[in-house]
Amino acid sequence: MKFKQHLKAVALTAALATSATMASAQDEEPIRFGLCFDLSKSYTFVTPQIAQAAQDLAMYTNENGGIEGHPVEIIVRDHGNEPQRGVECYEQLKRDGVFIFNFLSTPVSNAALPRAMKDGNILMQSFVGRGDAVDGEVFEWVFPVGPTYWQQAANAVSFIKDQLGGDLSSGKIGFIYLDYPFGQEPIEILKTLSEKEGFELELYPVALPGSDQSSAWSKIRRDKPDYVISWLLAGGHVVASKEMRRNRFPIDRYLTSNWLNEVDIVNIGAEEAKGILRGTNVAGGQDVPIVKTMLETYYANGKGSGPESLVHDVYYNTGMAIYSAGFEAARMAIQENGWPLTPEAMKTAYEGLSGYDANGLMAPVTVTSEDHGGGGKTRVEQWDGETWVPLTDWSAEYLDVVWGVIKESSEKFIVE
Amino acid sequence: MFYRLSGVHHANYVSDSRIFKVPADRNLTAFIFLIGLAAPFIMPSLYLNSYMLPWLIWTAAALGLNLVTGWAGQLHLGYAAVMAVGAYSAIHAARFGVPWEFALIIGGLASSVIGSLFAFAALRVKGLYLALTTLAMQFVMDWVLTHSPAISGGSHASLQSPTLALLGQDITSDTGYYYVAFGWCVLVTIFMLNLKRTGLGRALVAVREKDFAAAILGVNSFYYKILAFATSSFIAGVSGALLVATFFFLAAPEQFSVNVSIQVLAMVIVGGLGSIIGSYFGVALILLVPGLVNGIVAGGSEALGMQINVETLAHIPNAVYGALIVIVLLIEPLGLGKLYGNIRDYLMVWPFDQLRK
Repeated sequence: MKFKQHLKAVALTAALATSATMASAQDEEPIRFGLCFDLSKSYTFVTPQIAQAAQDLAMYTNENGGIEGHPVEIIVRDHGNEPQRGVECYEQLKRDGVFIFNFLSTPVSNAALPRAMKDGNILMQSFVGRGDAVDGEVFEWVFPVGPTYWQQAANAVSFIKDQLGGDLSSGKIGFIYLDYPFGQEPIEILKTLSEKEGFELELYPVALPGSDQSSAWSKIRRDKPDYVISWLLAGGHVVASKEMRRNRFPIDRYLTSNWLNEVDIVNIGAEEAKGILRGTNVAGGQDVPIVKTMLETYYANGKGSGPESLVHDVYYNTGMAIYSAGFEAARMAIQENGWPLTPEAMKTAYEGLSGYDANGLMAPVTVTSEDHGGGGKTRVEQWDGETWVPLTDWSAEYLDVVWGVIKESSEKFIVE
Repeated sequence: MFYRLSGVHHANYVSDSRIFKVPADRNLTAFIFLIGLAAPFIMPSLYLNSYMLPWLIWTAAALGLNLVTGWAGQLHLGYAAVMAVGAYSAIHAARFGVPWEFALIIGGLASSVIGSLFAFAALRVKGLYLALTTLAMQFVMDWVLTHSPAISGGSHASLQSPTLALLGQDITSDTGYYYVAFGWCVLVTIFMLNLKRTGLGRALVAVREKDFAAAILGVNSFYYKILAFATSSFIAGVSGALLVATFFFLAAPEQFSVNVSIQVLAMVIVGGLGSIIGSYFGVALILLVPGLVNGIVAGGSEALGMQINVETLAHIPNAVYGALIVIVLLIEPLGLGKLYGNIRDYLMVWPFDQLRK
């Protein structure tokens, strides 16, 4: 008898609790962003910063009224860079009501892409996955807001052209890269541009994981290129810097993709790295309004979503940029179509982002239904020993060449 | 008591070489088979398409590796590469317009040819040297995939698979994919169950135990090793193709990289060399436990309202998972299959063995 009463009481409380949460949930149902990240294997050099930026931004947004009154919920899961677990994460979060995903890993994004396309869910894919996914006509649900590696390489060539006085015909550009798909991607563009501009292109493949580059750099010493464009990652830059010193190659002729951060700089040595060049679509340093706000509001009081050291990292800014664009799209979607937020509304809103630069955080992006990358503008920043100094304005060059490659590649994606 | 032996007498060779010598085993298998058949109706779709489906396909693959490593005793560290050959050939065939039934067989045969060609060279060495040569095969395959856009599907190295269609029927639903995987896994399991009691199976075991002793008995060990490699490669090829056709929908080199090879080997070893049921358990432990533990830890920390750093949260499941493998191998070095065997042996005479104590 006693047990029965007990049971009744429990049931009653449970019922009350559910109805209470349901009532509040109806008032302000959250907008869920699914972050299936590799937090334990290959991408750990970038994922913690990006996840932390997303959480900080969500916290700040929620404390200031949410997105059109709806709180943002950031759900972070680890997939260990295993495609199978990424798919599992996608399927699970999908059932929890998430329709905006980010996998931040090329193999996992690739594995989840067919599902997202079939289900009609938003796939945020900046800097990872297929570059040709910026073609919004083929990849309707994929939003790689930011530059593709092709565009970054093209912008790098254009920067070098300006540095050499606007003429590349007598120039020589070296390309050092990790010899696997990430590093190989820009080769085609560089070859096309070398024909177009008449510069000499030298390729220096480096075997994974990039810790042995001695042969590449002794070749560079012999070839004497004017600039070296680098598609290396993390520790690869550190090895490169040592080789540069050994082979007397000036570090201010070394231009990297967006994957170079303060951790690498510290490993190279802040003074030693003085002059290193980095192509980027995101303003580096902490002198950016939103990053400043985070530091003042949260980190000054020890209330940030993680260690403050991660904020002093340009990948934190990258994360801010990715999620600012996402939040802005969600805001526009709710403003246009009201609640509930749907993938369709989100897609339309994304495609309506016009000249959006997150208050000086990133290159202005104008996303359209054809171009999901938003224009691919980048600039070159130089490390001055303490922070990043921009050398150029945001711009995107050789768009026709880059889009030629994009279209040619995305065409091959379509199968019966 | 549970695996009753009373009334089970094997009076002739046919009866003695039956697959299930104890009725309880047969009944249990039939019961599990029925559950497998009914799974789409009794299981939430999440479990069906993210756990059951990959589990079955990887089990089929692991059984293939078990054939060469568990039965024939040849250490193979390039199994994922063989799966890749099957996956890419089948998808290219299907994209070319070959019906999927044949595309799958083409995938299997291509794997078989390349796998045994490689074995032909590799089998001149034994043991650790063989392991190293098969590892070399893996690296060769990785290199080929990342350097030949014609095979890997362009500069992004991802090749989309056409819609799977079998017997003139397009397969697009989770249930459909599941049954394809289920069917393949059952086929491979039946093959492996029967292998045990054929001359081929016995020859393989003889080769495993001591290849020159087998040679003295008149078993051509080189021939049987090649045969084991060819058969296991065929299974690998079809499994690889099905993995892409029903689960990833797109083939990328990372799905068949060296760490995948090591994972499959781990599945076989944790499950138990030469054990069929062990392969099922081993795959479950290696493939599914990381995700499950991850979910449990994430859910647990949320329920307890703990503010754990995302990175720490991601590393706890890895530690748990690692500990689980060590614990399993400490408790029973012969793997999960043997662990099950121990339980079965215990229950066979329970509770009557208690009288003696």
